Amino acid sequence: MNRTLRKELLGSGAAVVGVAWVRGALAQEIAHLERAVSIGVDRNLNEDTVRLLLALQKKVVGMLKKEGYRYLCIPPDSDRIRNTFVSKLYPLITHKMAATSAGLGWIGKNGLLINPDFGPRLSLATVLTDAPLQVDTPIERSLCGDCALCMKFCPSDAITGEEWSRHEPFPELIQMDKCASHKKKIKALHGKPNCGLCITICPYGRKIHREDQEQSFVRTG
Amino acid sequence: MATEEKKKELLEKLRNAVIQYDEDTAKEASQEVLDVGMDANEAIFNGLVSGMEEVGRLFEAQEYFVPELLMCADALYAGLDILKPHVVQLDLGVKGSVVIGTVEGDVHDIGKNIVKMMFDVAGFNVYDLGRDVPLDKFVEEQVRTDSDLVCLSAMMTTTMTGMKKVIDNLRAKNPNVKIMIGGAPVSADIAEKWGADGYAKDANNALKDAINMISSLKKLKEEAEAKKRG
Repeated sequence: MNRTLRKELLGSGAAVVGVAWVRGALAQEIAHLERAVSIGVDRNLNEDTVRLLLALQKKVVGMLKKEGYRYLCIPPDSDRIRNTFVSKLYPLITHKMAATSAGLGWIGKNGLLINPDFGPRLSLATVLTDAPLQVDTPIERSLCGDCALCMKFCPSDAITGEEWSRHEPFPELIQMDKCASHKKKIKALHGKPNCGLCITICPYGRKIHREDQEQSFVRTG
Repeated sequence: MATEEKKKELLEKLRNAVIQYDEDTAKEASQEVLDVGMDANEAIFNGLVSGMEEVGRLFEAQEYFVPELLMCADALYAGLDILKPHVVQLDLGVKGSVVIGTVEGDVHDIGKNIVKMMFDVAGFNVYDLGRDVPLDKFVEEQVRTDSDLVCLSAMMTTTMTGMKKVIDNLRAKNPNVKIMIGGAPVSADIAEKWGADGYAKDANNALKDAINMISSLKKLKEEAEAKKRG
């Protein structure tokens, strides 16, 4: 089942797919769901990202349901959905925790999931399930090393430079109030709270984007 | 008008959509119900609610767990949103209004929301105070809305004691109001000891009890009025 699942998702637009073993990490209501399928798509500054993730989730659900397994979808924009019953369960797991446990990356100094190939440029969705999927090796510690570009370039000085590891999963990486007040300022100026310098500057995965751009340049030129 | 066969098919489709927690099908079937001119009331009770009853059974039998239960409730609401504006008249013999909430200090509101859903479906006016509700607020809201029924929920033994205070305060203000309590640590014994009129093990029971309570309340009122006249 693993192979077909992976193949299907990667063939339909997923950038990365991993399976995490999350037993013991979840609250009682969902403790029977021992695995998490973590799906990442290349964010690419594209507005269809959420739609694509939802479609990929539906594919996973279709496969699981057909085989009679239980599941719970945590949608990509889970923090914005509050009006459904099932949304009460969303805070019980985070996309980033599922992704690091599924070996897709670590949490960088900028507080985002960093994947070796795509850097922080992934959007995530998670499907919890009791299907006996083969699990991937979790990532234990940050591979940011001495790099502190995001810290240096952050316009609000919000990045503390702390390092994430599985044993120390919640250090204060970002001073959220600083980040938020900066975004508020930008919103007042431009109407949109977009900043994202800590994403643009991250050297992980930047190459892929550059190659993309060069290729499209070659094609159009 | 839809044929009996078509009706049966649609009711089955609605019921299964809820049981299978399939929101898309619940919406589709509800739209079909309207398109063929079927009675929305019938579709809600013999389709959606009938499905939810089966879900309750599956949950009790531990075939469904909390996530399934919630997804089923979402499927029910997806259909209900479409059908409800077309309900001509919901008549269960009684109609009432109810104040509902989870008591102060407690943020667990899944059970409360499901009970609320049953009241919604049954056509009650529901005043939902949400979760972590200050104890005085229940009394204020009951007085403001002149509701027949107040439902209190608590999931923790530590917050449960707040319910007793609310019951005492409500009784002081309005001896006739019916009070119902629910939640994991609550039992029939506690309900009796604290002077609540009802205790709900689950959402289905809550609704049934509520209807009984309100009809007995209405009867009391009528008798009192008859006495006055006589």
